Amino acid sequence: MSDNKIVVEVDEDLEELIPGFLENRNVDIEKLRDSLANNDFNNVTSIGHSLKGVGGGYGFELMSELGAAIEQAGKNSDTDLIAEKIDKLSDYLQRVEIKYI
Amino acid sequence: MAMKEQQDPSKILIVDDDIDVLNLLENWLSNEAFMIKRAKSGLEALNIVASFNPDMVVTDLYMDEMDGMALLNELHSNNPLLPVIMLSGQAQIPDAIQAMHLGTSAFLTKPVKQQELIDTVKRFLPNHKNQSSLAHFSKDIVYQSKPMEDIIDMASMVADNDVSVFISGPTGSGKEVLAKAIHNASSRRDNRFIAVNCGAIPEQLLESELFGHEKGAFTGANLKHEGLFQAANGGTIFLDEIGDMPLPLQVKLLRVLQDFEVRPVGSTKTFPIDVRLISATHRNLEEAVKKGEFREDLYYRLKVVPLAIPHLSERPDDIPVLAEHFLQKFAKQNSQDKKRFAPEAMKYLKKMPWPGNVRQLINVVDLCATLAKNKSIPLNLVKKAVNDEPVYIQTLKEAKYAFEREYLLSVMRITHGHVANAAKIAGRNRTEFYKLLSHYDIQPAAFREKLETD
Repeated sequence: MSDNKIVVEVDEDLEELIPGFLENRNVDIEKLRDSLANNDFNNVTSIGHSLKGVGGGYGFELMSELGAAIEQAGKNSDTDLIAEKIDKLSDYLQRVEIKYI
Repeated sequence: MAMKEQQDPSKILIVDDDIDVLNLLENWLSNEAFMIKRAKSGLEALNIVASFNPDMVVTDLYMDEMDGMALLNELHSNNPLLPVIMLSGQAQIPDAIQAMHLGTSAFLTKPVKQQELIDTVKRFLPNHKNQSSLAHFSKDIVYQSKPMEDIIDMASMVADNDVSVFISGPTGSGKEVLAKAIHNASSRRDNRFIAVNCGAIPEQLLESELFGHEKGAFTGANLKHEGLFQAANGGTIFLDEIGDMPLPLQVKLLRVLQDFEVRPVGSTKTFPIDVRLISATHRNLEEAVKKGEFREDLYYRLKVVPLAIPHLSERPDDIPVLAEHFLQKFAKQNSQDKKRFAPEAMKYLKKMPWPGNVRQLINVVDLCATLAKNKSIPLNLVKKAVNDEPVYIQTLKEAKYAFEREYLLSVMRITHGHVANAAKIAGRNRTEFYKLLSHYDIQPAAFREKLETD
């Protein structure tokens, strides 16, 4: 994992919503880790599905892609892959830098 | 992006159990100056609908408690015209369900893009401020009762909407009158309204009547024939007794409705058509679907907006205005002074069971107007007319006569008045066929002239 920033362009109309939105994603990561620890694959799938649906709308395309991957891995109960994708999502959230346009 | 100014904005209810989705949708739609309310569940949405009265609902499909599909069904059972935009993952909604809500609903795949959502919202928002079609209805349809008022309200909303309208109701209740009124209230009114009774025409002829045929498509088809769908282009086609349409033809009709094009019998070419379809039947189609006699997919396509005309005896408040209307018509047609029913006679009319519906009422009114010696029609005359009036159930002879005549007209239309060909189709020799035509007072020349003007 690198320390490079990932710049995401977001519509300036959404500026007010972004801090709350990103905070909720950190909550998602915690929930994903808890669910994985409890082998609650249904919950993993459901959170992945929500991430897929919401990320791209705010401009975070990679978040939607990771959400879709988590949803699929959840359906397959693929513990390793889920863990890998959660780490990627967490890394992404730490490195993301927002440019309002 | 500046907020757009708009007076009297359209109201949109957004439903999702994810707060971030609600925030996003609200942001996008408020920027377009819509008035937004939000609900975090299907049940909350139903509560809000009652007071907020939205012009549209945008909902997620995948929610706990009540999902988007259940919400859609609940919303449409109260108001089949409320546009609903459903956001869902790919391939989660079966075609049959989509078809059922076609015309009023859109299904968008998540993650949805801003422009895609806004374009769809704008496309499906009804132009509900336009009340002119209601005014059109009042001159075509005579009513006073609450059930009819509800039907006319609904019909006037859909008149200009091009959605498929399905009219159910017992024989003689005025299904064709309503269909015609919908046509007259729509922007298609300057084009043709063509009514076809699917029950009165044999299967092979029906296909040719509806979709046309090429020269030589079958024995006797010596000329090319344009079908009624093409003839109605730009206008409305009314398929009455659609429940009697044979299954093979149902498949073909479904294809026409899906592709908006017709292929005449024996032709390799298809022709684009722009026709609004209104269908009707006195049969219980839902039952026919269960028995496998009617295609389910076609049924859902036809009944996007179902209008059920109640039996005349279930709407007695309409009887006085209808009787008055028919008396006026009779007086005008026969150039005499208008008569009226004595009060006790009217009371009797209102309490009658009317097994033959409005059609029977017309017969009784005409009979009374003919027989009444004075301006006022007394009770005893009404009673006599009701008892003497057998027309509401045709005799076998009358029914046979009507069917044969309708059949001969179809054959003559298809052959453009070519008697030898028509006789071949009907399986009669020419001499016999000429006799039949003369018996039914059908002039072959009338059909030939039509060809020349085509």
